Parts: sequence; C-alpha cells; structure tokens
Amino acid sequence: MLRVENLTKVFKGKSRTGTGETIAVKNLSFQCAPGEVYGLLGPNGAGKTTTLRCLSTLIKPTSGNAWIDQYNVLEHGQIFRSKIGFLTSDMKLDGYFTPDYMLNWFGQLNKMEDSAIQIRKKTLFHDLQMEDFVHKRIDDLSTGMKQKTAVAISLVHDPEVIIFDEPTNGLDIVTSKAVTDFLRNYADSGKTVIISTHIMTIAEKLCDRFGILVSGELQEEGSLNDIIGKSSWDNLEDVFFSYILPGEVKNA
Amino acid sequence: MLKDSMIILKKELRRIFTDRKLLFMLVVLPLVMLPLMYSFMGRASKSRRNDIAEYHSRIAVLVNENSVDCADMLFTALEPMNTLLFLIEEAQMDSVSQLVTEGDMEAILVVPEGADSRLGSGLPVELSVYHNSTADYSESALQQLFMFIGMLNESLVAERISEAGLSPDVLTAVSMNSGTDPGVYDLAGEGSLTGKIIGMMVPFFIVIYLFANSMKVGLDSVAGEKERGTLAILLVNQVGRLSIVLGKMLSVMTAAIAGAVSSAIGLKIASGYLIDMTSDGSGSVSEFTMGTTDFLQFGIIVIPLAILISSIVLLVSTFARNVKEGQGMIMPVYVAVMVMGITTMQSGDIPPGWMRIAPIFNSLVVMKDVFLNNAIWQNILFSTGTSLVFSALLIFITLRMFNNERILFRV
Repeated sequence: MLRVENLTKVFKGKSRTGTGETIAVKNLSFQCAPGEVYGLLGPNGAGKTTTLRCLSTLIKPTSGNAWIDQYNVLEHGQIFRSKIGFLTSDMKLDGYFTPDYMLNWFGQLNKMEDSAIQIRKKTLFHDLQMEDFVHKRIDDLSTGMKQKTAVAISLVHDPEVIIFDEPTNGLDIVTSKAVTDFLRNYADSGKTVIISTHIMTIAEKLCDRFGILVSGELQEEGSLNDIIGKSSWDNLEDVFFSYILPGEVKNA
Repeated sequence: MLKDSMIILKKELRRIFTDRKLLFMLVVLPLVMLPLMYSFMGRASKSRRNDIAEYHSRIAVLVNENSVDCADMLFTALEPMNTLLFLIEEAQMDSVSQLVTEGDMEAILVVPEGADSRLGSGLPVELSVYHNSTADYSESALQQLFMFIGMLNESLVAERISEAGLSPDVLTAVSMNSGTDPGVYDLAGEGSLTGKIIGMMVPFFIVIYLFANSMKVGLDSVAGEKERGTLAILLVNQVGRLSIVLGKMLSVMTAAIAGAVSSAIGLKIASGYLIDMTSDGSGSVSEFTMGTTDFLQFGIIVIPLAILISSIVLLVSTFARNVKEGQGMIMPVYVAVMVMGITTMQSGDIPPGWMRIAPIFNSLVVMKDVFLNNAIWQNILFSTGTSLVFSALLIFITLRMFNNERILFRV
C-alpha cells in the first residue's frame, strides 16, 4: 500500500511569478492499494512529474511524506527505493548495450543475486515478449522494443510499487497497448501501479482510480464512476477539461 | 561502497573498451598520431633540407667601377657554393630586387666602387647582400654567402698578417672548444638530448590526452545521462550516490590514463623521428631510455593528475544540463590547461615557487623534471599531494551537486 500524506514541494529561487518560490505540489494526499492502478491526471506543469519524483526519492518533499507499509520516503530512502520501480517515458537508454546486459546490470544495482537476476529476466522477457531481441543492441531496436526494455529494467527487482511517468508518451498505438496491458496485468498480480498521464483514453482503460491535479493541487479523486457521478459530465475528458479550462467546456 | 562503485565502473569500462570507435579515439589515436605526425614532419624536414642543399641559388652580382679584381676573387671563393651567379648593371637593380622579393632570385651581392684599391691598400671592403628573409632559399643563400665570404676574409687577413711578418695566431688571444669534434665536450648522459626534447614535449601531450579522453568519457557520463533521462533510473536503485560518483570517476580516470599512456608510448616511438628532425639526419642522437625509477616517478605524477583532471570534468559534467553545455563550460579550462602544457615546453627558467603550488601546472613541471633526470622526490610528492587534495575537494563538491536536486534535475 502506498500512502501519500500532505505532500508539498516548493522550489526556491527564481520563479515565473517572480515571488522567489514555486509551489509545484501542495498538500497532496492519496493512497493506492496493491492490485490498483492509480492515475495522476493533469496538464503540463500540474505537478505530476514532481510528485512522482518525490515518490521515487529523487527529490525531497518540502513537507508531508509518503509511505509504503511502515517505510517512508524521508527516513527510509534506501528501503523505499528497493520497493519501487521508477520509469519515465522520455528516457533514452544507452544504445550500445543489449537489453540482456542492461537487465543484468540493473539487477546488480539492486543488489540481486546472479541466479535471481537470471530467473527474473526469463519471466520479464517472456511477459513482455522480448525474447527475440534481448541480445540485440538497443540502438537497433524499434521504439516499442526500447520501451519494453525500459519497463523490464524498472521491474527487474520485482518492486511492490511501480511509478511510471507518462508511460505511453511517444509510443505507437500497438506498443502503447502492449505497455498498458502489461501494467494492468502487473497490478492484477497484486502490485501497486501509479502513472501520470494526460491521455484520458489510456487513463480510462488502465486506471482504477484517478486524481486530477491542477497547479499542484488535487482537484478531484476517485474511480471513474465516482468522478463522473459527482460531475455534470458524462466522460473523464470533459471532467478533466472542466478543471483545467473552466468555462470553455459545455455540457453535452 | 567500493563494490557498488565497481558495478558502475565495470559497465562504463565495458562501454569504453568494447566500442571499437571509442577505443580507437581513446587509445589507438594517441598511440599512432605522434609517430605519424613526427614521421611526416621528419620526412618533410629532411626532404626540405636535401632540397635546399641541392638547390642552385641564383645570385645577382653588381660589380661597380674599379672592383673587377675583387669580384674575381669573390667568384673564386664562391665556387664551392652551389650557386648560379649573374652579372647585372646598376640600371637593373630595381627589377632584380623585385625578383628577389618575388622569390625568383635568391640574393644580390653588391661589390662597392673602388674595392680593388681598398683591398690593395689593406683597407676593409664593405660588401652588401640584399636578400628576402621570408624565402627559405634566399636565407640559405645568405648563410652560405656569410660562410664563404667569412672564409675569404680569414684567408686575406692571414695573408696580410704574414706579409707583416707576424703569425696569424696573434689574432687569437683566448679561444674555447675549438677542437675538430665539438661533440667530445658534451658530457650529457645517455639519452639526455632526446630526453630533453621529449621531456619538454611529453607533459604537453600527456595533459592534452588526459583532458581530451576525460572529456570524451566524462561529459557523457553525467551530463549525457541527464540528457538521455537515464540518470533518474540510475539514482532509484540500491547504489548510493557516492558510489555512483566514484564509479564514474574511476571510469573517466581509466580513459584518461589510457590516453596518457598511449600518448607516452607514441612519443617514445616518435622519438626516432625526432632524431631526423633535430640533428643532421645521421641518427647521432643517442636513444632515449627510461629506467624503473623514471617509470615509477612518472606513474606517481600522472595518476593523481588523471584523478584531478577527471574530477574537474566530472564536476562540470554534473553541473551542466547536457553534453553541449558541458563542452562549453569545460572549454576555457581546457584552453588554460593547454597553456600550462605549452609553458612547460619552454626550456630555461625554473618556475617561481608559488607556481609550484598551482595544481596541474606543478605536475607538468615535475613530469618534465623526470624526463630531464632532474626530478626531486620532494617536488614529486608535493605535486601529487596537491593534485589529490584538489581532487578530494572537487569530488566533495560533485557529491554535493549529486545531492542537489536543482542541479541534478534542472532542464
């Protein structure tokens, strides 16, 4: 179970508003249970990436905290990291190496035994249908194959929680489906999945619950039925636009 | 921690030593470039020398009135010179001067009016030679004229002194090293001459390759990872940030040392060509040798220097947003280091004490001392200490940067 409590992140220094600080995320709280996919929805600059970076221990929250079981991101960084797999879609793996080598290497970085790495690789290569290209150099792979490699890398240590920033960005429809199907199956196997996205169709299909984030603040949270039920709209996209472009979306 | 650094290092080294293109640039190029360059320069230099030696200089001679006997004497004296002499008139002086300026004539020798009577009276005759200092053939002709006219002068003076009933030795009160083989007076040790040449050049080339290789590997090491977005997934693992910094630094250092050692070996191979470039091509310069102590001293200097340069590059790489920005930031440092390298190439003055404190520069100075067999352990250890202290400081700052999210994730 991942639990986020009053997470706030303030960046100090020059800001666009000139106040000397930028509040990227403000008092964000949500939780995500094992077997669940939680979608953080929001436009660019809403604070999605900052939230996910805080959850992956890359940056420290200014206040608030996040927990996986009894471990929190502020005090138990290393244990916290062992329980998460983090991935961003704008990542370009070093094309010189093969997926097989990269998985071995990331397994070592996660302090896995060689035998455990071999077993885990076999499972991931099978589940992600990667067997045909694991010994090819990443440079020679298609975008979809590269993305599958990146997913496999983030999951090599079999994390309890997977944090995925914009998982389908830049992917074609087939690869996008393969990734979302995999994430769904991963959650169904009892893992916790948190994604950020601004593509509503993906969110609707993949996520069990959503949080709509605008200017760093959580505007709405719940399942698809909850959110639509509470609003006067009949689809997630219109609900989303009603928050980010109030007044411009009209009832059907 | 060291075990974790090794995981990072092994991957980086695999990248360096199995990528043929990268390996060629980092190791093979420094090895072959100097021998190739010196071979080319040596051949070009030798060919030029031969060409000048075989070249028939064209010298115009203007003989003024009452100077015919003097001119005849000059022609006889200049016979051994590989020269074509042309007699010209006063009226042709301007046009022939133009030919010298344009390189179509090497020099104009002017015999002044009344030279015969001055010679007869035992008075000096002032010859004028017009030449072109920008043309190699003209300068060569001028040197030969100096030599042959000097010889003629000596024989005429000896003749006059003899006529006066004196020995020509009266003109020499004190002389020095006037034996037939000046080489016997040079007590330089085995290899010192080439060692001096190499000693002046090695530090420059070593520092260039230390820096160039550090840049090739180091800028991509962190700034490249930032640019590709892979730094984030590297940090979300069980390996601490200090281990990551150390692992990356060790890989940059390995690449730097590989380049420096290749460059040193290349220079050793190239030293054969230096003989051609520096002597008359007879290979009379003794072979350059390095003893065990020299290698030990070289290693003690170059490894901390590689650590220091790797630390500088890694710090810049960590601070930069991407590789391009890193290249822009490191360039002024690279130029400064090159200037230090060039400074140590100059022989002569011992740098003032305060300059011995300057990191990199002091390593280059003592490295030069090692090749000149003048190294003092105290100086070697001092430069090593300086490099290590500065490296530790830079690694500390880099580590702070690695923990600074504004630096690490700024885009």
